[in-house]
Amino acid sequence: MGEFIAGANFSGRSAALMARLRERAPAFFIGPYAEAALSGLSSTVADEIAIYRSANSSRPAFAPLDFPAYAARKPPTLSGGEQVLLALHCFSRSDYAAIGIDTALEQLDPGNRDGALAYLSRGAAHGFTAALIDNRLACPPGWASHELTGTTADFACDLAAIHAAPRAAPAIGVHDLSFRYPGGRDIFRDVDLLLEPGRAYRLTGPNGIGKTTLIKLLAGVLGPTAGALTLDGGAYAPWRSGNRVFALATQNPDHQWCGATLAEDLARRRAALARHSVSLPSDEELAKLASCLGIRSLDQHLYELPLVARKRLSWLWPLAGAMPWIMLDEPTLGQDRPTRAALADAIGRLTAQGHGALFVTHDDAFAARIDHRPLRLANETVLS
Amino acid sequence: MTPNGAVIFGFVIIAGALVARDVVSLMVILAITLIFAFGSRQRIWSALLWSTGIVLPLALFMGLVWIGIVGRAPHEIAANVEGSRAAAAVYTAVICLRLFIIAFAIQAAFLHFPGWTPLRFVAALTAPQIAKKLLVLTLSLIDTILQAVDRARTALIAAGIITRRQSWRNLRPGWILVQTVWLTVVTIAIGRTRDKWPVEDTLARLDRTLGGAAPRLGGADFAWAALAIAGAAMALGMR
Repeated sequence: MGEFIAGANFSGRSAALMARLRERAPAFFIGPYAEAALSGLSSTVADEIAIYRSANSSRPAFAPLDFPAYAARKPPTLSGGEQVLLALHCFSRSDYAAIGIDTALEQLDPGNRDGALAYLSRGAAHGFTAALIDNRLACPPGWASHELTGTTADFACDLAAIHAAPRAAPAIGVHDLSFRYPGGRDIFRDVDLLLEPGRAYRLTGPNGIGKTTLIKLLAGVLGPTAGALTLDGGAYAPWRSGNRVFALATQNPDHQWCGATLAEDLARRRAALARHSVSLPSDEELAKLASCLGIRSLDQHLYELPLVARKRLSWLWPLAGAMPWIMLDEPTLGQDRPTRAALADAIGRLTAQGHGALFVTHDDAFAARIDHRPLRLANETVLS
Repeated sequence: MTPNGAVIFGFVIIAGALVARDVVSLMVILAITLIFAFGSRQRIWSALLWSTGIVLPLALFMGLVWIGIVGRAPHEIAANVEGSRAAAAVYTAVICLRLFIIAFAIQAAFLHFPGWTPLRFVAALTAPQIAKKLLVLTLSLIDTILQAVDRARTALIAAGIITRRQSWRNLRPGWILVQTVWLTVVTIAIGRTRDKWPVEDTLARLDRTLGGAAPRLGGADFAWAALAIAGAAMALGMR
């Protein structure tokens, strides 16, 4: 039987999960992000599978992806959801008798998520036990629930107190945009899109379809193989001139820090954006905003924070309102229900003030709280 | 060919390149390495380009210093003779050719194993288990650093601190990139070693993955090794 560990953020769920796994050690563990989902010992997907494969395992393989086609890929180059699916596949080929998953299933699209849950629910028949933390699920049928009620006020946040000033964001035009990774297949082909200010857009699509890639293209982290972007009709090439439009909160918060402390991170962003004549809130205002996100001091060392707190802090830059558009990649990962609702409302307030918002989420309840237009990625294009 | 055969060939060629003292013997060793690379029946352009890319900065630097500024070879300085730029050029060519052969021999060895994963290659080596595990961990650390570079670049580009396109403006915040990369490497390593590896005993799985007998050396291994030994012996004889 599986065990579902329920509770609010900071109620001790992760510690409880690890304690369960230590009791059953060795046990397979899938943490919230890649460094705690993959072994880190392999250079290719084929090697990752080889490390965990056991000749003694008789359980059926969980194979939602065509893993032979991914064999030569480097595991960190897979999307977040694909990494979780790879980890689950590795477990299914291994002889571990227990698995623990800490919020990682929140990264999966509905189809893969249902498939993963169905596989884990058959653990008794396949000779393994599962322990699961998931903020978007109630206890699955047939699972034992372990509810943790304690919590701490250390990182309590108050998103309702965040209000940005009115802003006239530019319209973003995407024209004949094509992209492929070197040596890879087409991710996008001749995409045309208009993102209007004062609106929120949700990117949807299955794991690995290119949602994060589109965000990286708009932020200038990647350059298109063909096509162009415009701002209010004027040419804009962030991959050449630098990003001055999008405040990005990445899926893994540790992908966005530019310093060791919050103060260092903010100072470097301030200096960079000053080159583009982007005016920023004062340190006092940013400190107040950080406090609303549960961080009491700008001198806080970022990597000392728990992951959930780091994820919340990753919203600071978008919610500061310094940039006209905000982009959030799976912003709700690891967050409990009240926090997700408060974040959705904060995004709604930003767009009402004229900001544009683009977000990626598999969390339908979260998206439903935001007045948005869906953009579906399919067949190398974006369908609006 | 087996991985052990490729390693033997590589070691002998590298040893030959290190003992060779003149351009002629180095050219002979290079010719043997080229034959070895062609013997893989793979395209060798990529290996040649990578090797050139590795050597080019050294060649430019040595050319500037020894040919351009000093104008004499080191042995001429030691003998306190007038010397010439031609001798300095020969000295620079020998050093750079030596490095080129080392880089190219390593890549040529891997050309013989298309489709092999690093783990499969290491598993097929005859070496103590601990040495194989150390090799896998070293490769893993290299991959982690590359991953960290990618992550740090993403962070700094998205924040507008650097641009994706190569630019002189990116030089000034270069140290921020270095700091961010190292912070990221540490974070990734901690993420693995604190939670995942201890509870899974992940490293122990390598014992099984890397275990098993290495394939025995075959005719091709002996033939390539003999050619490499001949080249190294000739280089030794020409000293």
